[in-house]
Amino acid sequence: MPPAQIIREDGAYHSFCGLTCVGWLYQKIKDSFFLILGTHTCAHLLQNALGVMIFARPRFGVALLEETDLSKQQPELATMINEIRAEHKPSVIFLLSSCTPEVMKVEFEGLAQKLSRPELPVLFVPASGLDYTFSQAEDSVLQALIPFCPLAPADDKRVVFLGSINDTIADDFALEAAQLDLPVGGFLPASRFAELPAIGPGTILAPVQPYLAKVANRLARERGATVLSSLFPFGPDGTRAFWEDLAMAFGKQVDLSEREARAWSRIEAHVELLRGKKVFFTADNLMELPLARFLRHAGCEIVECSSTYINKRFHGRELAALEGVRVVEQPNFDRQLRDIAELQPDIVISALATTNPLIGQGVVAKWSTEFAFMPIHGWAGIGTLAGMFTKSLRRHSQLDALADPVWTAGLMPSTIPLQVRRPTITG
Amino acid sequence: MRLAYWMYQGTAHHGVGRIANSMRGVHAVFHAPQGDDYVNPIFTMLERTPSFPQMTTSVVSGRDLAQGTIRLPETLQQIEAKLHPELMIVCASCSTILLQEDLQTISNSARTQAEVLVYDANPYRMQEILASEGLLNVLVKRYAQAQPLTPQPSVNVLGPASLGFHVRSDLMCLRRMMATLGVTINVVAPWGAALDDLRRLPAAWVNIAPYRELGQGAARQLQAEFGTPVIYEAPIGVQPTLRWLNRLVELLNEVGAQIDGPPVKLPPLTDFSLDGLSAPSGVPWFARTADMESFSGKQAFVYGDATHTVGTVKFLRDELAMEIAGAGTYLEHEADWMREQLEGYVPEDLLVTDEFQQVAKRIEALMPNLVCGTQMERHSCRKLDVPVMVIAPPTHIEDHLLAYRPQLGFDGADVLADTVYLTATLGLEKHLIDMFGDAGLEYADGPSDSALQAPVSAEATVDAEPMVVAAAPTAMALDDDVIQFVWVPEAQAMLKKVPFFVRGRVQRNTERFAREQGHTTITTELLLSAKESLGG
Repeated sequence: MPPAQIIREDGAYHSFCGLTCVGWLYQKIKDSFFLILGTHTCAHLLQNALGVMIFARPRFGVALLEETDLSKQQPELATMINEIRAEHKPSVIFLLSSCTPEVMKVEFEGLAQKLSRPELPVLFVPASGLDYTFSQAEDSVLQALIPFCPLAPADDKRVVFLGSINDTIADDFALEAAQLDLPVGGFLPASRFAELPAIGPGTILAPVQPYLAKVANRLARERGATVLSSLFPFGPDGTRAFWEDLAMAFGKQVDLSEREARAWSRIEAHVELLRGKKVFFTADNLMELPLARFLRHAGCEIVECSSTYINKRFHGRELAALEGVRVVEQPNFDRQLRDIAELQPDIVISALATTNPLIGQGVVAKWSTEFAFMPIHGWAGIGTLAGMFTKSLRRHSQLDALADPVWTAGLMPSTIPLQVRRPTITG
Repeated sequence: MRLAYWMYQGTAHHGVGRIANSMRGVHAVFHAPQGDDYVNPIFTMLERTPSFPQMTTSVVSGRDLAQGTIRLPETLQQIEAKLHPELMIVCASCSTILLQEDLQTISNSARTQAEVLVYDANPYRMQEILASEGLLNVLVKRYAQAQPLTPQPSVNVLGPASLGFHVRSDLMCLRRMMATLGVTINVVAPWGAALDDLRRLPAAWVNIAPYRELGQGAARQLQAEFGTPVIYEAPIGVQPTLRWLNRLVELLNEVGAQIDGPPVKLPPLTDFSLDGLSAPSGVPWFARTADMESFSGKQAFVYGDATHTVGTVKFLRDELAMEIAGAGTYLEHEADWMREQLEGYVPEDLLVTDEFQQVAKRIEALMPNLVCGTQMERHSCRKLDVPVMVIAPPTHIEDHLLAYRPQLGFDGADVLADTVYLTATLGLEKHLIDMFGDAGLEYADGPSDSALQAPVSAEATVDAEPMVVAAAPTAMALDDDVIQFVWVPEAQAMLKKVPFFVRGRVQRNTERFAREQGHTTITTELLLSAKESLGG
């Protein structure tokens, strides 16, 4: 493996807090409840990050620390747990930490243990915005589940897919594995707490999400499982490599080159539009490496691929496929802005906070967050994946150039002209 | 400690960001974990800002805490080099405030040209509204300078700020009205104001501060220090706007008399219309048309901030002749003022709570014909099948539309009346439906599954809301949704004959009645006795 050239800068701050992972995990694990020990800030964050997705009955809430709680050594959560148990009847409660209790040095492990009952375990999940961004906290949630995965015997050689994907994609993956005659041990996470897969020394862990390095390492260390080293299953190239390598882990040589070629030809119209386009990833959802690799194989020029967190081993194959590309961990956003102005990329994939302002500077920009919520995995997701990039390009090319600044006049209070002295509209 | 699902107000640092983002040459710096940067996309997404919001998170990471690294001075220097603000406002977050650092000394060590103000917004003692109001007070106190009044009649508009409810439209409306009066706007603050603008605030003859939530503290201060008279009322509705205009003219002329300035006269009211020829508002005539007859019996529940809740209650009753079933607010510190304002308007005590479940329960108990609320009441009402319109923050992207939709002034009265009209069920049409069942408008089919549905799949995207709502028209999320009722086919058929827009309510009431009577099977007999006992 060639040594990956990763530039490290001083910090990406435009991304979401790790707590936002509850937005998809509570839906994925259908009998769970996510309880965040936090403040008004955490509740406001969740409301704004997830408020656009309205659920009949959210199975997450915030145990709100108020001023009087700050002086207490250990927060009293038993009543609240009972309330949640009565109202939501979960099989498992995840207790997530946040910045304030971490500064207060709340002893979470002990707290969770004390609240745990055999029939309703309470699992501590470190997820605070001090240490975790966005999708990264899923890693913590999955680690908390490890003790509840039964131990598989050593001769039980099966694949366990690692990372939350929706049930339809999961079905696709199970079906695909069956067609390749690969025995499936299950999914981590499973849709229900009681259905967690058995993991042991014979388990092949196949990561389907690129932000789960720590749980993969722990399962390798603690259970002797083998972590599949491959590309992540995004795009024709990634999906082919993923399945071929997975089959190889079971001692089967399969050749999916034709299937890959068919997949490329199915998205030819997209690829045609992508070819030669300059793409810039500013870092947000930790999916940047595989997405950039797919675009590179589709003929794009990746002018920068930044991510908030890169693990040289876990992301090794992706990094190798990006050799020669500028890869940055924890990028400095001001430097990125200067580079975007200079390099003039055709499309920038950026965080929610920065996308509209980038478009305001005349750049075609797209929300990176969307990729975290779209079915873009495996063979079935290829069209959706390619379409997400070309949709932006097409839409912007279809519209007139926004050359005259008059069309954004008045939107940004700080940029409106100096305060008018004389009324300009007469009645 | 309590279990919270939803917040009506943002945090203190969000309030600080709203002020900084409103102003020219001002930048907010949050000494906070990276996660606290979530306030930034609220601006870029809801206001769709074409520039970067004027706020930066100076990141504090777990490693920084362990190593004692403080990046704040460096962040201040970077912002200065890049943006050259006149003023940087530093505030701590809910976690970093516990570290009890001396942020002023730390900030001073950056030795920036720009002034650095450390604003002590304790997030455990104040939320968005008190923090923004408090900060505006600090800024006005700090910068306003004694000076002669403008030679021409003039006003300041205090209170419009970034992410304010329909704030740009309100401001356009106020500008239009001032232009019609021939009154100059001296300064609008904080929206679009530079520090220099704050300095010349005392040059205005009168201050307009229509929002209880922001700007009135600054107005009081300017009155105390410089003697500028204030008009505090919010001109919501036609008659309040007329009274407001008359009062404004009176105040301006009082000031004018002292300095020998030109008098201000209220022009013919048609001058306030868009073409200068028409009624300034369509509401007074509209309310008297036969079409609106059916509104007289309609009951509304109004919940929100202080300004819009009080304004809307009065408008609905005084100008549309509706009945008020109840009102409430999440602003506890405004409860007394609101009770006083709504004396005689609201049949029951004001609901004061910031727990959305309480509000939803009250709405469910009242089952009004119209709810005016916030984004959260929109969700609750969709579950309850009650017509709802949003009149106060917090908002959803759906409330950030392009057209001119003020809440204030004559134009605002038209907007409110139109929204009520489109939201509530209509008159003649309603009688037809009541009389003859579905009137061809059928689209919902059969009783819905009263057990909770799980309508959202894992691939829910950011614009999933309408889909979700369509999937669960009567799914009750609030309570008692665990019992599975069985409707016998005959009862089902009867229920189907109930007009579709009240069917959900009839179904729920019947099921509640059944539960009280200890039944889980709903027969025609049970449906009839439920109807009887609930008064038809």
